Amino acid sequence: MDQNKTSKEILLRMVKSFTENEVAPFDMEIDHTRSYVNDLLNKIKETDLLSTMLPKEYGGAGFDGSTTAEMINEIARGNASLAVTLEGHFKSIDQIVKFGNQALKDEYLPQAKSRIIAFSMTEPSGGSNPLGINSHAKHVGDKWIINGDKIMITNGGLAEIYCVLVKTAPEELSFFVVDKDMEGFEFGKQENFLGLTGVPVGEIVMNNIEVDESHLLGKVGMGKEIGDSAHNDARVLMGAVLTGIMEHELDIVTDYATHRKAIDTPIIQMQGIQRKIADIAIAKETTKLLYQKAAWLKDNRQDYEEEAAMAKAYGSRSAVKSGDDALQILGGYGYSLDYPVEHLIRDARAMELAEGTVEKMRTEIALIEAKNRA
Amino acid sequence: MKIVVGIKQVPETTNVKINEKTKNIDRRGLGGVINSYDLHALQAALAIRNQVGGEVITLSMGPDDFAVSLQETLALGADKAVLLSDRAFAGADTLATAYVLSEAIKKVGQVDLVLVGQQSVDADTGQVGPIIAEMLKVPQVTYADKIDAFKDHLVIDRKLENMEQTITAKLPILLTATDKANRPKYTNVVEIAKSFDKPIITWHAGDLDLDEKRVGQAGSPTIVRSISEPQKVAKKNHRLSNDPATAARELVDILKQKNILTEDK
Ligand SMILES: Cc1cc2nc3c(=O)[nH]c(=O)nc-3n(C[C@H](O)[C@H](O)[C@H](O)COP(=O)(O)OP(=O)(O)OC[C@H]3O[C@@H](n4cnc5c(N)ncnc54)[C@H](O)[C@@H]3O)c2cc1C
Ligand SMILES: Cc1cc2nc3c(=O)[nH]c(=O)nc-3n(C[C@H](O)[C@H](O)[C@H](O)COP(=O)(O)OP(=O)(O)OC[C@H]3O[C@@H](n4cnc5c(N)ncnc54)[C@H](O)[C@@H]3O)c2cc1C
Repeated sequence: MDQNKTSKEILLRMVKSFTENEVAPFDMEIDHTRSYVNDLLNKIKETDLLSTMLPKEYGGAGFDGSTTAEMINEIARGNASLAVTLEGHFKSIDQIVKFGNQALKDEYLPQAKSRIIAFSMTEPSGGSNPLGINSHAKHVGDKWIINGDKIMITNGGLAEIYCVLVKTAPEELSFFVVDKDMEGFEFGKQENFLGLTGVPVGEIVMNNIEVDESHLLGKVGMGKEIGDSAHNDARVLMGAVLTGIMEHELDIVTDYATHRKAIDTPIIQMQGIQRKIADIAIAKETTKLLYQKAAWLKDNRQDYEEEAAMAKAYGSRSAVKSGDDALQILGGYGYSLDYPVEHLIRDARAMELAEGTVEKMRTEIALIEAKNRA
Repeated sequence: MKIVVGIKQVPETTNVKINEKTKNIDRRGLGGVINSYDLHALQAALAIRNQVGGEVITLSMGPDDFAVSLQETLALGADKAVLLSDRAFAGADTLATAYVLSEAIKKVGQVDLVLVGQQSVDADTGQVGPIIAEMLKVPQVTYADKIDAFKDHLVIDRKLENMEQTITAKLPILLTATDKANRPKYTNVVEIAKSFDKPIITWHAGDLDLDEKRVGQAGSPTIVRSISEPQKVAKKNHRLSNDPATAARELVDILKQKNILTEDK
């Protein structure tokens, strides 16, 4: 028996059933109440979904990047917010695994089974240009003293552990890991965002937080590299979230168009409707191939930066556009807050901003294309 | 208590296709899942084991790819699994299936309790459990809704069409579980990897003490002559008068015409 293949099949069976029974039926309620109803946060801990990609030596299930992305894809088909909450946690675990020293790994990775980890770079001064941040850490003896203000953090307020980008010198960026239980740590304002409303997105304020040397993630000055790496890992998973959103859109429009009639003819027989449905399906499949390729490259230790950026840049606009088409297919119902299509558009729209704006991603893609030819 | 649970892998019900020629389920390219009632049977078995101690062994007859479902039962908490796989078993009906399963249960030995689902969701006969009980010459209680285990006996609640029963039963026994027996747990994600430390044993026809005339196609007296989806009948609307008394009279007339209501004589 191929252990990897069998494990993956069992995981995906479980996730499918979990999504069908525990997530999808609550999609609208999650959006409207802006919270994870149905005790979902406890359920993702009890089932160890939170540990899907956590390495086995730290108590996790140790699934690879491709399987993890497919699992996120499946959950997003039920509810995109929950998938993004998991994505935020997984990309943070990834960075501690890649860059953490042994003491840091031993301290925090076993906790990742039940405590969510978040990744925070953005500040009131801006997210696209990291050198513009103001947070900083000062070396005092064998400790670091951290001060600053981080906003728009995915799972901010929910997460208990934060990887924070700070300046360790005027032109030097570094990452540290801080815990919500440390002295000087405070939660700030929650964002009132348009979509992905189940995901808490919030602020943390750091006031003279004192940490050991071991809490430095990677080395001093590695801030940009670690930030880029986190973006890459997040974008693969966001490609999966966006695929799930488009699958959700397809579930809705195919069902509706099959049953809705124009006098006697189901509207799915009409070419104008068919064209929209076909375009959503093409965009969904293209995004899926992009994120799966990125995940495959990652699992096989090859560069995946460009494919990850493509999955998110292409997938986010496609899912917004597909949502718009889906809205049109549902007619007036599509425009109603009582139907799910409108929130799928709002959800997808977030991913043109989070984890690097589409402008920044296109810059990266263009520069990689040029570099490959230089 | 030594408990054996029968596990059937079934196609995902949403995309079942029937092969017109063989009249069998076309399993090519279909994702399989564990028959939902069997998950209830397994959950009941695990609860009993956790209560009174013992061992849960899952048992499945089917092609090699059923091993995924057995692996899943190990991740769910079963102690060991047995796969009955052999070309000779192909084409089995309920009689031949139950025969091979009962011989395997004999080979496991010293089994106190056999738990199966009330029926499979693909072939749906509900016959396999009762036939196994007859072949093993043990008593059976079908449609178990609730099972309480004690050292040497069980107390079982079952609901039938016109009565509810509470049965005290001695071991050994076979039970078929309904979906009211419990709420199956989700597979724990970390337990999936750990489940590979537990054994899945494969038995072929030669490993069992079988009469080859009673196995597979040869041992299957039933033949499916044809199988088809029921025809969809279009719904019709009939509007009754607005006046309630007239409407009631019209409704009674219609029901009589259709022989749904009959005259009291
Ligand atoms: C749902 C959601 C979740 C988020 N989660 C997190 C999180 O977990 N952690 C975190 O750190 N941040 C998070 N963010 C913040 C996000 O990363 C930032 O919004 C994003 O980086 C843009 O930063 P900004 O909002 O400050 O816009 P700005 O950086 O001010 O950009 C404004 C506009 O200018 C363009 N622009 C700016 N600079 C450039 C440039 N160099 N090249 C090309 N165009 C440019 C941008 O594309 C954009 O259109 C989240 C945001 C959202 C919406
Ligand atoms: C298209 C089609 C045609 C068929 N034609 C015939 C036919 O002509 N005559 C006939 O008798 N049967 C026929 N079958 C039934 C087929 O042989 C059954 O799949 C098999 O015998 C089990 O019966 P069942 O699925 O009805 O199980 P049920 O009796 O409904 O299952 C009850 C329980 O028994 C256990 N169980 C059942 N099968 C297994 C197994 N393989 N391994 C372990 N445990 C098991 C499970 O716990 C299950 O919940 C047909 C099935 C199909 C799909």
